[in-house]
Amino acid sequence: MNANLNELLNALPQDTAESEAELPREELERIFADLAMRRPPTTSLHRMWTIGELSVQVALAYGAQTVRGWFADAEERERHRMEANLRIGLKIFHRLGYLRGALMKAGQMVGSLPHVAPAQIVDTLDRLRFDAPPMHYSLIREVIENDLGRSPEEMFQSFEKEAFAAASIGQVHRATLKSGEQVAVKIQYPGIARTIDADLRSLATLLPPLRYIAGDGAGERFDQIRRMMKQEADYELEAESLRFARSIFADRDDIVLPKVYPEYSGSRVLTMEYLPGLHVGDFLADNPSQDLCDAFGAKICFSWYRMHAEKMNYADPHSGNYLFMNDGRLGLIDFGCMQHFRDIEYQPLSQTARMATGGMAVVREVLLTNGASEEEMADEAFLEICVESSRFIAEPVLHGGPFDYGDPIHLKRRLEWNLRICDNKSVIRNGSPFWMYYHRSDLALYALLYRLGARVDLSTLPIAEWWGMK
Amino acid sequence: MRVTTEVRAATRDRILAVAAERFTQDSWETTTTRDIAAAAGIANGTLFNYFASREAIVAALIEETMPDAAKQYRRRRPGDEPLDEELFSLEWTALKSLRRYRNFLAPALETVFSPLATPAREDPGAGLRKTHLETVAHILTDHGIPQPLPAVLLQLYWTLHLGVLAYWAADSSPHQEDAMALLDRSVKLFTASLTGGDGGPHIERKPE
Repeated sequence: MNANLNELLNALPQDTAESEAELPREELERIFADLAMRRPPTTSLHRMWTIGELSVQVALAYGAQTVRGWFADAEERERHRMEANLRIGLKIFHRLGYLRGALMKAGQMVGSLPHVAPAQIVDTLDRLRFDAPPMHYSLIREVIENDLGRSPEEMFQSFEKEAFAAASIGQVHRATLKSGEQVAVKIQYPGIARTIDADLRSLATLLPPLRYIAGDGAGERFDQIRRMMKQEADYELEAESLRFARSIFADRDDIVLPKVYPEYSGSRVLTMEYLPGLHVGDFLADNPSQDLCDAFGAKICFSWYRMHAEKMNYADPHSGNYLFMNDGRLGLIDFGCMQHFRDIEYQPLSQTARMATGGMAVVREVLLTNGASEEEMADEAFLEICVESSRFIAEPVLHGGPFDYGDPIHLKRRLEWNLRICDNKSVIRNGSPFWMYYHRSDLALYALLYRLGARVDLSTLPIAEWWGMK
Repeated sequence: MRVTTEVRAATRDRILAVAAERFTQDSWETTTTRDIAAAAGIANGTLFNYFASREAIVAALIEETMPDAAKQYRRRRPGDEPLDEELFSLEWTALKSLRRYRNFLAPALETVFSPLATPAREDPGAGLRKTHLETVAHILTDHGIPQPLPAVLLQLYWTLHLGVLAYWAADSSPHQEDAMALLDRSVKLFTASLTGGDGGPHIERKPE
C-alpha cells in the first residue's frame, strides 16, 4: 500500500468490528486506492510538486489533472499556450506563503477549488493540515498586548501557557477571568491573515487560464473561495457568527455554543466561554451505550438542520468542533467557517426532498427558477447527478424511522456518490465552490455520525417544516 | 577652559537628543553632522570630539536604549522558558525599545551595520555587535550550550539579528506583526541549527 493511501485511510473514521465483517475494509481501500493512484496525464507536472506533504501532493495532482481536462476541447496550439500559462501559475502557487500555516492553507485551498479534488481528499487535507507554527508564551503575550492593549497578566486571573488545542492558524489557551469564569482564548499567529490574503492575490494569476474555459464564472468561483478562506482568519466575523448561532438555540435543545467576551476579543484574539467535554474519539473510548450515541446523533442532526433553517451551514467539517458533554449536552465550538446561503442556493436545498421524490421534472423546475444556465439545463448528465444528489441529501430525512448512520453500506454508497460527482465533467465545469464546501461538510457530518454508529429518526425533528415540506 | 566630565556628558546627551529629533523630523538622508552641531549649539568640529560620524551617533542612540530594554526583558522573563522563547523575548524587547527611532533606522542601518564593515575603529556597529552577542552567549550558557560558540554560528545569529532588525525597521504591518513572525521563525532556525532538530522546546534551561 503506498504512503498516500495510508494517510488517507488513517484519516478516515476507524471501522468497528461489525462493520469490518459486513463490508471488507478492502472494499473501502479499493475506492481510495483508485483515488490515490490517479496521476495527471503527464508525469512532468506531477514531478513539479516538491511540497513534502503527501496529502497536499494528492490534492495538487488532482488539481492539475482536472484543470488540464478543462482545456481538452481547445485547439492544440491554444491548449499548449494555456497549459504553459497554467504551469507558470501553478509554480507561483506552489511557492506561496513564507509561513508553513499559510502554505498548508494554500494546499487546502487546492482541495477546495471547485470539484478539483474529491471531498474525501479535502476532508483528509483538513485533518492532516499543518497548522501555524506553535507559539510560545512570549509571542502570545505580544499578540494579546497588540490586539487588546493589555498583557494576559493584567487581563486574566490566570492564563495557561500551554495551548490545549490547535486552531487552524493559531492556538487555543485556557484562562480564568478575574470574575472567575473559565474561558478559552483563541490566538492567531501574527501576520498570517495578511499572508493568506497576499497568497490569494497571487493565486489570482491562475485566473486567466481559468477564464478561458469557464468565462467570468471562474472569477466568481474564485471570489467565493477567497471569502471562505479569509473568513477563517477573521475573528471578529467569527464572534459575530457565534453570537448569531447562539441565539437560534434554546436551552431545551441541549445544544451549547460558547459565549463570546467582546471586551477580551479583537481581530487576533477571540475569548469565549470554556466548554468542558470530550471529542468523539475520547467519547467512544468510554464505550457509550447505543442510546447515548443515538441521543448525541440526534442533537448533531438537529443542530445541523436548525442552522440550515437560518440559511447557514456549519461548514468546517472537523470532528473536533463537536464536544460531547458529561451532562448529555452537545457543544459546538468553532464558527470560523460558516457558509451563508443565498436564495439561489437555499431554494434548491430546501426543496431537496421534493426533488428527490419528484425526480427529473422537479429538478428541472427548481434549477430553472434558481438561476441555472441554458447550458446546464441542456446537460442531461448534470441534471441526472442533481437528481441523484437530491436523493442522497434527502435520504436520511425521507427514510421514515431511525436512519442507521453506522451502516457501512450507506457510507460506501455515499463515498461512491461523491466520487461520481468529482468525476462528472459537467459538475467540474459548472460546479460552484459553495456546493463543494457544502458536500465536504455533509460528508464530514456523515463520517462523524458513522463513527458514533448513531441511529437517528429525523422525522421527529421539525426538518420537514424547515424545508417547507409542511 | 577645562571641560568637566559632567559638561561632557551633558553635551553628548544633547547631541544625541538633537540628532534623534532631526533624523525623525527631517530625514536620515538630509540631516548632516553640521545640522546636528548647529542645533546642539556647538561647533561642527566639537561634534567630532564626541562622534566620528552620523553612523556613530545612531549606534550610540541604539546603545542608549539597551539598559532599559535589558531591564524590561529581565522583568518580563518568567525564568523557565525554553531557549527559543528567551531569545525571542530578548530580541523583541530590544526592538520595542527602539520603536521611537523606527522611521530613520531603516536607511541608517545600511551604513551602521554594513556587511562590508570590518571590526575596526571606524565600524560603528562593532560595539553593539560585541555587547549583544555577549548577552546571547550568557543565555546560551544558561541553557547548557557549550561556549564559545563556533564563529559560524555567531555569524549566523548576527545575520539573522540584522535581517530581523532591517525588516522590522521598514515593516508596515500593524504593530510590526510580520517582523514578529519573522523573528519567531529566525530564532527557531537558529536554535534548530544548534541542536540539529527543530529547536526551542527541546532545549530546557539548565537546572540552577
